[in-house]
Amino acid sequence: MNTPTVTTPAVRRRQLMVTAIMALIVLVPSLLGFGNKFREFILLFRGDVDGVFAISPIMNYLLAALGFFCLFGWAMLHGMFHDIEEPKRHFLETERELDRRLPNPPIA
Amino acid sequence: MTLSLGRAADSSLEEAGAPQPAHLVDAQLVETRLVAFYFLAALAYLFISMLGGFLMALQLVHINPLRGIELLSPGRWRMVHTNAIAYGFLANAFLGALHWAIPRLTLKPVFNRTLSYLIFVAWQIVVVSTAVGIVLGQAQGLEWGETPVWIDPVALLGLVLVTINFTIPMTQARGPLYVSLWYFMAAFVWTPLTYAMGNFVPEYWVNGTSAGAIGGLFIHDLVGLFVTPLGWGLMYYFVPILLRKPVWSHGLSLVGFWGLAFFYPLTGIHHFLYTPIPMFLQYGAVISTIAVEMVVTTVIVNFFGTLRGSGREIVTNLPIRWFYTGMVFYAITCFQCALQTTMTFQALIHFSDWVVGHAHLVMFGVFSMWLLGIMTYLFPRLLGRDWYSRTLCEWHYWLSAVGLAVMAGDLILVGVFQGFWWGSLQMWDVSVDGSQPFWIVRVIAGVAMFAGLLVFLYNLYMTWRLSTAPAPETARLPAATA
Amino acid sequence: MFESKSGILGIAGLAFFGIAFLSNAVIPMLMYRNLPEQKAEQLINANVRYQFEDLARRFPAAFEKTYGSPPAETKEREAWLNQKCADALRLGRKVYIAEACWHCHSQFVRPVSNEERRWGAVSASPEYANELQRPVMFGTRRVGPDLCREGGRRSSDWHAVHFFRPADLSAKSPMPEYPWFFDGAADKPNARGLAIITYIQWLGSWHETYPLYEQYEASPLQDMQVDAVPAAQQSPATQARKATP
Repeated sequence: MNTPTVTTPAVRRRQLMVTAIMALIVLVPSLLGFGNKFREFILLFRGDVDGVFAISPIMNYLLAALGFFCLFGWAMLHGMFHDIEEPKRHFLETERELDRRLPNPPIA
Repeated sequence: MTLSLGRAADSSLEEAGAPQPAHLVDAQLVETRLVAFYFLAALAYLFISMLGGFLMALQLVHINPLRGIELLSPGRWRMVHTNAIAYGFLANAFLGALHWAIPRLTLKPVFNRTLSYLIFVAWQIVVVSTAVGIVLGQAQGLEWGETPVWIDPVALLGLVLVTINFTIPMTQARGPLYVSLWYFMAAFVWTPLTYAMGNFVPEYWVNGTSAGAIGGLFIHDLVGLFVTPLGWGLMYYFVPILLRKPVWSHGLSLVGFWGLAFFYPLTGIHHFLYTPIPMFLQYGAVISTIAVEMVVTTVIVNFFGTLRGSGREIVTNLPIRWFYTGMVFYAITCFQCALQTTMTFQALIHFSDWVVGHAHLVMFGVFSMWLLGIMTYLFPRLLGRDWYSRTLCEWHYWLSAVGLAVMAGDLILVGVFQGFWWGSLQMWDVSVDGSQPFWIVRVIAGVAMFAGLLVFLYNLYMTWRLSTAPAPETARLPAATA
Repeated sequence: MFESKSGILGIAGLAFFGIAFLSNAVIPMLMYRNLPEQKAEQLINANVRYQFEDLARRFPAAFEKTYGSPPAETKEREAWLNQKCADALRLGRKVYIAEACWHCHSQFVRPVSNEERRWGAVSASPEYANELQRPVMFGTRRVGPDLCREGGRRSSDWHAVHFFRPADLSAKSPMPEYPWFFDGAADKPNARGLAIITYIQWLGSWHETYPLYEQYEASPLQDMQVDAVPAAQQSPATQARKATP
């Protein structure tokens, strides 16, 4: 029922490659698009009194996202997320066990 | 009948290396009676809510038989309609399902059983007095928060007690948490905060444009920080159980969680685009809304990844069919949302029936579908007997799903027409007259959904009657699925 | 941190909610902190006062039954009328909310979709900085027309009949009937009827283009009002008219 996770070096390398390619496909166009639009936005508001107000929430979002990303990296380095898939199996086993122990277990 | 929940005793907890809490032997881990009470209350409010919606729909097509009666005014019943769905149906059904799911996920009962019953009674008082208050003309001027102001503190207290009752066992649970519990924990923090923000700040402290910004936050946080995390959390719990395999990727589900937590609270102002609220805040809301759609995509990918290889369950397994119909509607509704939140779309469809169609698609097509599916699965287990009639269950599903699809499609379409009629400066009557055929279709679709509910209630009643009679051994089959 | 319960409760639960509240709710509050909230009494302008007294002329019995008779002396009478008008605005807003008017009528004009041409000037924040817009009545749906420029477009008679039985004036209108605003007939509005009509006639009365239809005649109260109300409380329209000889 639980798919056994195969982790031969070859499989791992392939997974890494796929992840890297996917990351590039997502990140490059979105960063280009965002950067371009953001530059246009700044040019639009340059010299305007409300300009600072308009840019500030975007900078807030970016800073918050950056901080979040740093925290994420820190958490990874401190051993979190290394067995991230375990809870999903554990919970199903608990469920089965709970059902088995009922006075009238659900029967098939 | 091939439900194998009880069969997999070979992979027991001992083998998993987990400790053996005493509660496991305790059949009373889940207070099943309370779960049933919550579900019954939820269905009662769904019934009332649909009647309210029906009354407003009849008014729009000029055949309201109860015109001119103050306590049956369609306007007031429209507010009962939306509030009974939010606080009567959704909240009660969620609480019922949570009283089942959280003890079984944490292996701990709720903090205090007496408190659970107290909350149940208090919440019904809150919902009933909300409805009575609105019908008597004491509504508060806040969309989805029309609860009369004197009930707001009581409701908030109830929400805080719910948080205490559920959060304590969750914080005591061992080991890395399953994603459902992530959603539940966050939702229990967000819901009282949202309620307090929306009901008190724009009522007592800020007016005008700022109140509008907070009103927008409130409407959307109610969807995004109360309904959505509880709904997703319950799906992450019930879908793997019913498909008998773990969710496709737990890591991806956590991406979904953090994405929702960060972006969803920022979207509220998209309800009031082109208002006097500062333009840059509106742009911010639009951007984060589009980001939310990315997050939603990860969740949908995850659930359909889980379904892969078990597609046939959609046909044979009724709760799974409810759940995945909801998923499909969810994908549609979120795609729609990413479009309609842009300024270009807003210019056309804001104020129109498009929005009403969208709201029905989300609230009934997604979350009510999920909750009705959960009820379809749990009622037999609560009553200790399989459904009286599988055929009636099928009728309930098809009437609800087709009714909703027709209603939402119909309203979304007429919304586009209305936008063009208004934009082209035609006489106002043109938009009202032109909407008539669509509004008539909406009544018919609503009747179908209502009939579905009646079928479900009848089926439930017959199942309950059979469950009280001594059942033959073969009939003891608490799994709803075929 | 991210896998712990305190992380979920603290970061996702409290902190992210807080960020959103700061950036989406506190910023507009700070931006509009210089717009003090006006009380209903401060919102009385010549236009809405004219409409209020118009109610007294059209429905004298109903008006007297609800508000009593005004004092005879001019100055007291002015103060009395202003106070009653403010009370009517407050009650009218309550009725507007209780009957869910705001679920089928919006109160803002957008700068798109030709709305400026249909309704009048685009809405601006100062229009909403008052007691009667707490919570704000923007609305999210238009089954019927937008109402924020409705004041003065139609007569109070029209509104009375329309509230009593909308179909009499607009045959295909899906608007519900509100006979409980009246004592049995359209010419006998009760307290709620007078209040909701006053409230509707107030909407947009502060605006320079009030009322937005062709045959506009200046309110005969215009000059009297100038003496009765301090200049700061006059409608922009009144001030503009006073400035131009």
